[in-house]
Amino acid sequence: MDNQPTPKKFIVPIGPQHPALKEPGHFEFSVEGEIVTGATVRLGYVHRGIEKAAENRNWTQNLYLFERICGICSHVHATALALGVEKLANLEVPPRAQAIRTLMGELERIHSHLLWLGVAAHEGGFDTLFMYSWRDRETVMDLLEAISGNRVHYSANIIGGVKFDIDDKRKDAVLKGVDFLETRTHHYLDVVTGDRTFIGRTHGIGAMTKEQAELFGAVGPTARASGVQRDVRIDSPYASYPDFPVNIVTDTGGDLAARFIVRIKELFETYRLVREILAKMPGGDLVVRAPRRIPAGETVSRVEAPRGELFYFLKSAGGDKPERVKVRTPSLCNWATVTQVAVGYKLADMPMLLSGIDPCFSCNDRLVRVHRGKDSQLMTWEALRRYGIEYYKK
Amino acid sequence: MNNNIPPILALLFFPGGLFVIVAGLFYEWIDRKLVARLQNRVGPRWFQPLADLLKLLAKEEVTPDGVNRTLFYLLPVVALACALCTALYIPMAGLAPSYSFRGDLVVALYMLSVLTICMSVAGANTLDRFSLLGATRTLTQMFSYEAPFLLALLGPAIAAGSWQISEINAYAHAHPWDIFVFQIFGLAVALVGMMGKLELPPFDAPEAETEIVAGAMTEYSGRGYALFRLGKNVELIIALTLVASFYLGGVSNPLEFLLKTLGILLVMAVLQTLFARLRIDQTVGLWWRLGALLALMNILVVFFIRMKGIHL
Repeated sequence: MDNQPTPKKFIVPIGPQHPALKEPGHFEFSVEGEIVTGATVRLGYVHRGIEKAAENRNWTQNLYLFERICGICSHVHATALALGVEKLANLEVPPRAQAIRTLMGELERIHSHLLWLGVAAHEGGFDTLFMYSWRDRETVMDLLEAISGNRVHYSANIIGGVKFDIDDKRKDAVLKGVDFLETRTHHYLDVVTGDRTFIGRTHGIGAMTKEQAELFGAVGPTARASGVQRDVRIDSPYASYPDFPVNIVTDTGGDLAARFIVRIKELFETYRLVREILAKMPGGDLVVRAPRRIPAGETVSRVEAPRGELFYFLKSAGGDKPERVKVRTPSLCNWATVTQVAVGYKLADMPMLLSGIDPCFSCNDRLVRVHRGKDSQLMTWEALRRYGIEYYKK
Repeated sequence: MNNNIPPILALLFFPGGLFVIVAGLFYEWIDRKLVARLQNRVGPRWFQPLADLLKLLAKEEVTPDGVNRTLFYLLPVVALACALCTALYIPMAGLAPSYSFRGDLVVALYMLSVLTICMSVAGANTLDRFSLLGATRTLTQMFSYEAPFLLALLGPAIAAGSWQISEINAYAHAHPWDIFVFQIFGLAVALVGMMGKLELPPFDAPEAETEIVAGAMTEYSGRGYALFRLGKNVELIIALTLVASFYLGGVSNPLEFLLKTLGILLVMAVLQTLFARLRIDQTVGLWWRLGALLALMNILVVFFIRMKGIHL
């Protein structure tokens, strides 16, 4: 990512405070008239130091902390951490717990994709679709609330299992909700593939070839819309995905329209999966007892978040606190696709293009790089530590 | 032709001044409410436009660095004044216009354009990049819809054989179906042109909030912004009246005025909710490829019918 804005150009800043993006990120688009000639991105406005904070909390506390990395795909973060810790501790998690984890993850995917559909439509000035998709999204939010008691941070996971069961009443409610959402999703697919003005705003915009997607390291629906066969649920199944296989959804278009189509078709796949999990829910316990101290070791945990591959690196020194946790979120992987592909399109396409990767800013910000013209400096961890010691000696 | 309202009252209360302002706010509310209901939202309460206006008037007005101060304060006033003056020449509320002379149609359209020009000049006056882009887009949009819109309004004028608004209104009243049936394309162009003029969705690229914040109006706050908004409201009611009186069989009494203008507003609200925002290049393309063509065709049909003297 090139962080140096090119001088002597007409630069349109978007963010960190801008109506297009409700989260803070800063983009500079240099334009000639309406045509974009360059794009840079600057992140780091909501860096919260979570990875550092994790080192001072025990594993159970960290489950709550990491769930709060993202307010949209909260469950998937906790799942990634729990799966990794269970791998370190060699825990055999009951199949019912894994199935409930998977179910919650898929319900979360529904809510995330519907949320994205609304936001992306809003960026394109199609507020009617925005309002309708968010109205329907309430259905799945209500389901999640009915199951877990929370709309956003469900806290379904504990290390070694899950907290709550799905009884028959909840199962019926979920099935009913999914039926309703499926009919609505058919309608949305009709809209995004049939509406003339909408196609005018999405078709051929930000087209990215398969080679480019591979090169820029795109993940998730953004990569799949360019024809890349990449889905952690299929490539390395976790939780219950070995028992409930997922059919990959790809498109060859690579443009915004393809990203809409891929995400909406993924919704159908998710509905199918939710029904299948509910129909074949394994019996048994919800949790196994986990040790307080996790054996020393390192592991990698990968899960498929709604936005793409979510990667956790966990290192334990044998205590009740992690030695190091590293999180790489899918939004971060996809930025390069925006800044590289943006050139040559119209300024009016930029908000849709930005939202096309379904960015999640609070997920992103793992590194702060202060960028203030001449004062700009980049420090290694050692140098920063020395600087801190010297600073307080005075 | 003129009604008997003393000039000062005509300017301050009816049909200029207070009446159009109140009516404009009322119509803005109806528009917002209809769009909200169509989008499955609740929508504002009836006094919301007035509350917005009062709040803006009471707010601090920030003068940004690098603007020409005279222009910055003058432009909103000129914009609103032009919009209000236009009200004097049109059959507001179905009553005869206060002032009427040959060719007042051209004057009315010109004055409405002044409002748009004021907005884009106001945008170009600031150093803000969003404003500059918004100003460019406002002007680009104006150059695209203005000609087809004008041609569309000329259709009934040619049919009536007059460029005087009140005479065209009277002609439309006398031969309502002639204009409605033969000039249905003209009606479509006028309706959509009006939406372009008012920068309503899907033609809201000049003030697309997700791209350029508020377009040309970005640097305006407080009083200046309130006046511009008020100018837009007045423009809305004037444009509605013009289209109703030209194409929908004229307006000759307040009830007819209310029904016809609200009918057009309903159609406009539906159109606003149906589409995604057009990019500015798409807007220009639509107008010059389709709008101008339809408007020209409309004029040709009018010529033909006038030559043959066909009446329904």
